[in-house]
Amino acid sequence: MNLRENWRIVLLVIFTIASAGILFGPFVAAQAGGGDAGPVSLDYGLQLSGGTQIRAPLVGMTADDVEFTQDTNFPEKRRAIAEDLGLEPSEVRLSAGGRQAQSQAQAQSGNTIEVFSKNVTRAEFATTLQNNGFDVSQDQIRNGVTAQTRETVVNVLSDKINEGGISGGNVKTAAAGNEYFVVVEVPNAGEQEVKDLISGTGRVQIVARYPVRENGTTTYRETPLLNNSDFTDIGAAQQADPQSGINQPHVPVSIRQDGSAERYSQSLQDFGFTREGIGSCPPNADRNPDNASGYCLYTVQNGRVVYAASMGQQLAQSMNGGDFANSPSFVMTTTNISEAQQLAVNLRAGSIPTELNFTAGTTYTLLPSVAERFKLFSLIAGLVAYLAVSGVVFLRYGSPRVAVPMLATAAAEVFLLLGFASVIGLALDLSHIAGFIAVIGTGVDDLIIIADEILQEGKVATGKVFQSRFKKAFWVIGAAAATTILAMSPLTVLSLGDLTGFAIVTIVGVLLGVLVTRPAYGDILRNLMLSEEERERYTEQ
Amino acid sequence: MVRMSAMTDLPDRFPDIDYTRYTNRQLAAVPLAVLAVALAILAAWYVMTGTPVALGIEFTGGTEVQIQTSASQSEIQQSLSGLDPTIQPVQVSQGTQEYVVTTQQTDGVRQAIESQGYEIASFSETSASFGTDSVRLTLIGLGIAFVGMSLLIFLLFRSFVPSIAIVISAFSDIVIPLALMNVLGLKLSLGTVAALLMLIGYSVDSDVLLNNHILRRRGEFYESAYRAMRTGVTMTLTSIAAMTVMSAAAFLLAIPLLPQIGLVLVMGLSADLMNTYMLNLSLLRWYKYEGVSR
Repeated sequence: MNLRENWRIVLLVIFTIASAGILFGPFVAAQAGGGDAGPVSLDYGLQLSGGTQIRAPLVGMTADDVEFTQDTNFPEKRRAIAEDLGLEPSEVRLSAGGRQAQSQAQAQSGNTIEVFSKNVTRAEFATTLQNNGFDVSQDQIRNGVTAQTRETVVNVLSDKINEGGISGGNVKTAAAGNEYFVVVEVPNAGEQEVKDLISGTGRVQIVARYPVRENGTTTYRETPLLNNSDFTDIGAAQQADPQSGINQPHVPVSIRQDGSAERYSQSLQDFGFTREGIGSCPPNADRNPDNASGYCLYTVQNGRVVYAASMGQQLAQSMNGGDFANSPSFVMTTTNISEAQQLAVNLRAGSIPTELNFTAGTTYTLLPSVAERFKLFSLIAGLVAYLAVSGVVFLRYGSPRVAVPMLATAAAEVFLLLGFASVIGLALDLSHIAGFIAVIGTGVDDLIIIADEILQEGKVATGKVFQSRFKKAFWVIGAAAATTILAMSPLTVLSLGDLTGFAIVTIVGVLLGVLVTRPAYGDILRNLMLSEEERERYTEQ
Repeated sequence: MVRMSAMTDLPDRFPDIDYTRYTNRQLAAVPLAVLAVALAILAAWYVMTGTPVALGIEFTGGTEVQIQTSASQSEIQQSLSGLDPTIQPVQVSQGTQEYVVTTQQTDGVRQAIESQGYEIASFSETSASFGTDSVRLTLIGLGIAFVGMSLLIFLLFRSFVPSIAIVISAFSDIVIPLALMNVLGLKLSLGTVAALLMLIGYSVDSDVLLNNHILRRRGEFYESAYRAMRTGVTMTLTSIAAMTVMSAAAFLLAIPLLPQIGLVLVMGLSADLMNTYMLNLSLLRWYKYEGVSR
């Protein structure tokens, strides 16, 4: 066999061996070296491994192309806008467009003001901005947040999922028309578990509640003292430890020493916590935080009080003596361990500017045991489809010499595609399986075209005849492949869930088929024909 | 001359269809009538329900839950009556019975089901606003795919009648399964949309093959048509066989998504057989014998 004349077959063999190496190599290496690897090196998506996917837009509105002047004071405007809308300052964000954009003569295009609340209407937002000196009309306001905000959310949520001790989770954004969604996928986790982890903004605050005597009456005042960014050296959530005097689940933390610790210590001393306030927070104050009497320190997570603490004797002394500001570590206590875990995750990953709007998205959960069933059964469904194809091909051609290489080539195509999936780390889902089956379908169609073209009456002995027939067959195959790719390409960019995977697999499969496997089948057929013609010549003599 | 070798002398198992017995008008009438009926069904559906096809929960918003329970279907229906659900039993080999519960509601569905003590095997929820977006995106996707395909075909053949023949066939290949879905009570889901797009690819290759044989090769019309048919019908029958078996297997094994894709492809490919070898062929014959000389 002449290698140069049969380079297409050689190429197919090389690709097949490479695929086998990619798919089974890690397992063989693990067996030899004592490592750990699955028998086939493939990733599975949620539908084939079980887990939860949540896709939701972010709460918020954005005013685009806002005009900022040199003297626009961001923190001041932020507070003013928030106050007018009855929100926290953290729910408003002003951002100037990048300098790069300005140098490109799009001076005003990048400036935005965002508001992160479900309870504000577009009209209210526009009016508030106008009242605060921004010339913004309602048409400049759109639903959704800026790319920068989305990026922050994705980064923080990724950290949260990893901190939450779940492996293999992933967070990304997906666009659907003008709307953007955050997509969170976590294998082997239930819906509630994932929602607990990512719901809310993850904002943690320490709020001081203390009595103030004014004009002879006592009123209570609440002052936020610390939030996520003030904490550092966050330890792991721990169970109650009565031996060291901590009777609650807790998280060991430190306060940053760049001024936060001093401010915290000073405020608590000013408010009276370190004198008359020691130990004065009533038990169960966290059940009714708005009416508690005494001096309480509230740990607030996602806007909810999760624990109310009293000032301890020792801590008060260290604050009064000034030692606290030098080594500002303490423990944050919670009522149960799961809250402590959530607290640790929130402190480490930080808070997100806005939360996910679960009521405007999609949720998908699948039990791992059911996914396992889908994995096996979809393999069976694929195999029976392949057997059906085999049946028809044998019926049509009768001769195994035509049919067997045809079916082997079709199988090789799927094998190469699996190798490709493994290389790019594609997480296989049912939609991909459907794509594989579609590829077998178009693949066999093309092989039939090649076979019928090359096996016409008349011999192919001369290279010329073969080349011309091969070219003719390829015109049709190329045209059909181009149409399929064209038909599938919109799906790769439109965000239609499962369909993206299906489209990618089909397109790559068609490309692999047209460029590698299907031409090789032409060469295989020619070799078979040539050997047959030679044998005939021999018997004639 | 020696006898033809066993390989080149392929067995002919296809019946000889004598196209000369039918006029172009007769040939084209059947597929055009079927297309008209299909369009009428879609139009009627649109008038009655507001959409040409029944939309599944991925497009309308709602919840689909697969539950494991020993309760009977009517017991489930009764216990979940607040959700106004559709309940479909699923065949599972291992003994536990499973049901797919579908409802248009999204709020509190999980709680309602869990409070009845049913084990949730899979849970999929789509909000109504997300669904509306998906409808729009799907239409855009189908539109781009179809227009792109049409442009490519015109570019490849560069003459009007043969190109438009392919485009009409492909259009009909999509419309007929859509109408059949309404008749059979299948709802449009992401899976069936994938199948419809796949049909564009599948249906065009047998049409391209036929056009190519008749227009771009030497040889008499019927001879070329017959050759193209031998190859094309084999292709389509292979795909139909694969998809029929696949969807039956996937249905019996209770795998989601695959049965819908398979069923729509079977309907579309069957329509394609008719459209290619009656509609497209008659248009080509008219073009070859009468159109060209004009």
